[in-house]
Amino acid sequence: MNEWQKKSPLEWETYLNKLVKVAVIEKHECEGWVLTVDPVSASIVLATFPENESVSISVVLGHAVEEVEILKEGDDEMEQRLSCIFAPEESKAYSP
Amino acid sequence: RGRGFESRRRHPARGEAEAQRARARLRRRFLRALAAARGRPARFWLRAGVRVDATFGAADREAAALLVEALRTPLGLQEAALLRGPDVLCFRFPLP
Repeated sequence: MNEWQKKSPLEWETYLNKLVKVAVIEKHECEGWVLTVDPVSASIVLATFPENESVSISVVLGHAVEEVEILKEGDDEMEQRLSCIFAPEESKAYSP
Repeated sequence: RGRGFESRRRHPARGEAEAQRARARLRRRFLRALAAARGRPARFWLRAGVRVDATFGAADREAAALLVEALRTPLGLQEAALLRGPDVLCFRFPLP
């Protein structure tokens, strides 16, 4: 188990809504805004905005994470934008 | 599995409740991300520099295996296949 997988849910939560650079094994690298970290597999879900309207989601599997570096804190606007990415499904699923 | 599930030593009850809430929030977002990925064209980066394209299907509980459809391989198109989680470094898919 790597250092990243050993972190606690409260530690993973501190990465939410931040722009990070993930060093992945075999010299890969992934950059994006942290949407979540799966507490079971330690996989990181990142969002990038290649064009203004579209969103690209990357999932780095927990076992492949070497290091996560925080590049930038997210402001309120970014936090709102990120929370909306999966929101339509949410409201559909839970509306009475 | 004990991953991320250790109790907090200083304030066991309070710490554990907070950790449990964090774990639930993170996991819920992760499951939404997987639900959003379903049926979308995705690119997978595997070990040893292998990169394949397929339609994302599902992941098991610990992301130990990923079910994909229409996997394009040098030998042709595989209608359905399981990618071993430990072989996958990351995958990416676009959201409209």
